Amino acid sequence: MEAASALLWLLAFPFIAAPVVYIGGRLVVRESEKSEKPLLNPAGWLALLALLGAGAFLYIIGKDIFSVGQIIFATVGNIRLRFDGISLLMSILVLALGILVTIYSFAYMKGEEHEEKFYALLVLMIGSIIGLSCAIDLFNLWVWFEAMAITTILLVAFYRNQPGSLEAGVKYLVQSAAGSVLVVLGIVLVFFQTGSLDLESIRMAVTQPSLLLVIAGGLMVIGFGVKIALVPMHTWLPDAHSQAPSGISAMLSGVVIEAGLIALLRAFGALAVGSDRWGYILIGFAVLNMVVGNLMALRQREVKRMLAFSSLSHVGYMLLGFGVMIAFYNPYAGMGGFYHLITHGLMKGLAFLAAGALLYVLHVGKGDHHPLTVDDLNGASRKYPLTAFTLSVALLALGGLPPLAGFMSKWQIFASSVMTQNGWVIALVIFAALNSVLSLGYYAPLVNRLYRRETSPIVETGKPVSIWMSIPMVVLTLLIVVLGVAPNLIYWLTGPSAISIFMFFGN
Amino acid sequence: MADELILLSIGLPWLGALLVWLLGDRKAKFQHGIAVLFAVASAVTACLLLPNVGTSTVVSFPMETTFGEFNFVADGLGVFLAVIATVVGSLAVIFSVDYMKGAAQLGRYYAMVLFFIGAMVGLVLTSNILLMFVFWEITALCSYALISFYNDDPKAVSGGMKALIITQFGGLGLMLGALVLFAYTGSFDINVFLANPSVLPSNILGVMAFGFLIAAAAKSAQFPFQTWLPDAMEAPSPISALIHAATMVNAGVYLLARFFPAFEGVPGWRISVMVVGMLSALMAAVMALVATDLKRVLAYSTVSQLGYMVYAVGAGGVFASQFHLMSHSIFKALLFLAAGAVIHSVGTRDMRQMGGLGKKLPFVRIVFVIGALALAGIPIFNGFWSKELILEVGMHGNPIWLYVIMLIVAGLTALYTFRCVWLVFYGEERSELHVHPVGIFSKIALAPLAIGAVTTWLLAGPFSNLLAESLPTHSIHELSLMEMIREVIGTPATYIALAVVTLGLMTWVVREQISGVVKNLRFLETAAVQSFGFEAINRGIVAGVQKIAEGLRGSQTGLLNWNVFGIVAGLILVLAALLIGA
Amino acid sequence: MNLSIPVIVMAAVIGLVGIGFYCLLVTRNMIRVVVALQIIVKGAMLALLLAGRMRGQLALGQSMALTVIVADTIVAVLGLALAVQVKRRLGSLDLNDLSSLKR
Repeated sequence: MEAASALLWLLAFPFIAAPVVYIGGRLVVRESEKSEKPLLNPAGWLALLALLGAGAFLYIIGKDIFSVGQIIFATVGNIRLRFDGISLLMSILVLALGILVTIYSFAYMKGEEHEEKFYALLVLMIGSIIGLSCAIDLFNLWVWFEAMAITTILLVAFYRNQPGSLEAGVKYLVQSAAGSVLVVLGIVLVFFQTGSLDLESIRMAVTQPSLLLVIAGGLMVIGFGVKIALVPMHTWLPDAHSQAPSGISAMLSGVVIEAGLIALLRAFGALAVGSDRWGYILIGFAVLNMVVGNLMALRQREVKRMLAFSSLSHVGYMLLGFGVMIAFYNPYAGMGGFYHLITHGLMKGLAFLAAGALLYVLHVGKGDHHPLTVDDLNGASRKYPLTAFTLSVALLALGGLPPLAGFMSKWQIFASSVMTQNGWVIALVIFAALNSVLSLGYYAPLVNRLYRRETSPIVETGKPVSIWMSIPMVVLTLLIVVLGVAPNLIYWLTGPSAISIFMFFGN
Repeated sequence: MADELILLSIGLPWLGALLVWLLGDRKAKFQHGIAVLFAVASAVTACLLLPNVGTSTVVSFPMETTFGEFNFVADGLGVFLAVIATVVGSLAVIFSVDYMKGAAQLGRYYAMVLFFIGAMVGLVLTSNILLMFVFWEITALCSYALISFYNDDPKAVSGGMKALIITQFGGLGLMLGALVLFAYTGSFDINVFLANPSVLPSNILGVMAFGFLIAAAAKSAQFPFQTWLPDAMEAPSPISALIHAATMVNAGVYLLARFFPAFEGVPGWRISVMVVGMLSALMAAVMALVATDLKRVLAYSTVSQLGYMVYAVGAGGVFASQFHLMSHSIFKALLFLAAGAVIHSVGTRDMRQMGGLGKKLPFVRIVFVIGALALAGIPIFNGFWSKELILEVGMHGNPIWLYVIMLIVAGLTALYTFRCVWLVFYGEERSELHVHPVGIFSKIALAPLAIGAVTTWLLAGPFSNLLAESLPTHSIHELSLMEMIREVIGTPATYIALAVVTLGLMTWVVREQISGVVKNLRFLETAAVQSFGFEAINRGIVAGVQKIAEGLRGSQTGLLNWNVFGIVAGLILVLAALLIGA
Repeated sequence: MNLSIPVIVMAAVIGLVGIGFYCLLVTRNMIRVVVALQIIVKGAMLALLLAGRMRGQLALGQSMALTVIVADTIVAVLGLALAVQVKRRLGSLDLNDLSSLKR
């Protein structure tokens, strides 16, 4: 198969597969309502097949990319799609995490009402994120972005009988809708100014900065910024991430907010002319995100909410990397940003999955929807050694302790920032590192609790953790350790990604 | 050969850690066995490195971009410290067989200890400063995990947190230094940098030098970061001996010594190092005088002795500092393990409840007294020779007031050591304590250390040879044993120091007579118990951050209107910033 | 001042978006929130059409506006569906009652 048609298949396949997943699941549920003994809902397995199928197309594209050239184009109507380093990175990340979350959900979502809807939406969400990473038409970018938003809203509000889940869904819906309108307005301004929507043509057409384009960029920063959870547009995030089913929390934190970041970087690429201001804007938000995220998490009692707030600060590190890349033309900083994007996906994904596993065996699986508090973790290692261990690895990696992946990716961001030899940036790096130390103030006590001798009463009555939940956690743990010991194993992904953004900037 | 040995001495303990962990806590006997096996194996491999010492890179993993090459070098300083880490490490593990018998979660304990030993070896053998930072942080992580090993005890947890946060904070100095080195030279290699430090602009070199001083001070519990070490005494005693006396806390001294040739020219650096060492030595000695917890006394004395080493580096005596480091590792590990045996036997750490234990624990008394004599700097014990060398370096070409204070501290050291020995082993019994006998494994671990405390100074010749040959940029001159003896005996500094030490001992003997003077010094005691206000500063910072964090949480109101306001406010701010900046 | 069509439309765009956001800031009712979102999107659609016309690519502008309508309708439906559920579970559409997740 040719790479270009494989690309079209990669984009179309999830959207073809999702209805199959839904209908297949629905039919069996109907059947099982009629019959005496309940049948196994096949939706999860169908979803896994769908994702593996998409993975096969991705493999064909990937082989082509590394044997022929770096970029593959495809055209649908008059919309061009481009598969470059960023697309590869995002597709691999989202598919890998998606597959693991699907396996995890076999146990987590088992017997949940409308299970098939969950899997269908998950496949759709993954499809729209892959699409988003390939879009190079500004409006097309928005369409994928909106598709992603709609599917995630539905997933956040999945427990529709739970008031908390509904509340999080409402907030997420309103804020992301308001943000997406701002993006449209920004697109309008760009279209008005240049008459074009293709990112490359815009970049060519614009020869000098103009006020309208600057305003357009500002609108997009805020519009996409809602999804990236830039402070002060972040307020939906702790609610949504803590209320969603845990697998979805992992996806939200691990790829969805990053997808917003990718969209923003693509848009910036078009508006890059003669200005490093976008870099400084990103750096500014980096500072806000790091400090607010960490301080909000410090006194948090609910585990998933704490992890959600810590996502804010990790977005801050990525922003620092990308900001430095744009403002100081340093591709290594971009590599660092993408490296951290990957490792954050793995670490936060694992943290949410492991915390979710505990949430499931201690609360959800017993039918109550109380949040998992830090006190519930006391002594969990005695009953759940594997889960406790993986959660500790995730937390310590998030806190930036070597030899885990989070340390190495932060290091690349810091090192490339200091390479600018600019006093202010060096001060910023110190600030970021201080934040990293501060973050240990809430990660480390959690680990401590896990290894206490005295177990909390709720742990005593906990159910066992299913093997389906354990497999993804073990895989992610191994990846985190490997990427922490050998950072060079990831250059093939981060290098091309940084280049495909970087080529838009500079002179 | 050397490459395999390096990888083995890091990898063996790590493999052991993994195995012990996987074995699970139901097979305690095997866990003890595996831990001892791997610890001893790593000690053997590290010792085999001694004949393979050299200055060239022997293992290299190229990482490119912003990571440099992960290089390992088996040079004298590194191998020496690796040997100390693994040998003391394996003795501590052997001691643990008795000490931790029947303890819960043995897997976690041994895994962390072995993980630490491997990381410590890595820290001293790598020549990539990034990798050094990596190992630096791993040791901090292990130290944290082991301090709060008994993590149902809030004191242990907060002690661990304190150690972690403070050493991490100091680690920023090392990180910053590594980053600027890379930014200006494009390389992380220590030896390349040491060969030609002038490649860095002088102000950047200054940033690096003082950054490293901060890192070293935090790691070695020096002024103003000294407060974490006493609180770290919640750890099991073998851990205190291994991590908080013999190895990890030496990493700071090692860092300063390693980079001394590059930084000695930085204006104000040497005097700052000496002052930091002096302040730590003095303050900690005073605190050790008034402490009543046996392990805290030893902790303060560790800070104080590390102060000597830091002072020695600042004064230009890299050899003297490393020599004292060796002596100190031996006798302090001995003291801590012996103290552990005492605590394990009587079940308390409070010296006021001990007394007269010498009769019940004769073996422990002998080894403890040997350690104490070495600590106090009594002739022929190893602490005597190394301390005299430091004082001699301090006297020549360095500020005399610093030297005088260090002399006084030598007297204080003798005083508090004597007080400690007396309170624990002599005098009358102050309470009814049930004494358990000391196990065979404890004795196996204690005996070689006690012999070491009497004999290691005989190694001065080969040791100086080792350092001189493999550290070309440090300009260490070789010093044979006879030369050292002649030097120490021949200088008046020795006799002055001995006089001060005797004076210190006398003070204890005549403590009844001078009680009036002591009463007038009560304010000092109060201040010392409060760690001279540093505890308050620490607590203030923590409370402040917590308060800000709690206050900020109010910003998450949960109201949708407020959330939308965030978007609008963000839009206005960004547009304003863009329009002003445009 | 010459009130040409573009100027009027532009004013309408700014007016709609402004009114919509103002409404989002002050209303306490969930249905009104959905309406406010609709108002803002209408402004954005007008802007798309205006830009298409001014650029001489009205067809492109229209097709984009159509796409926005589709997406926006889905969001509105979703919002209303959530409102129904909220009313059922909490017995109220007041946003004040919908603020249990905080801090």
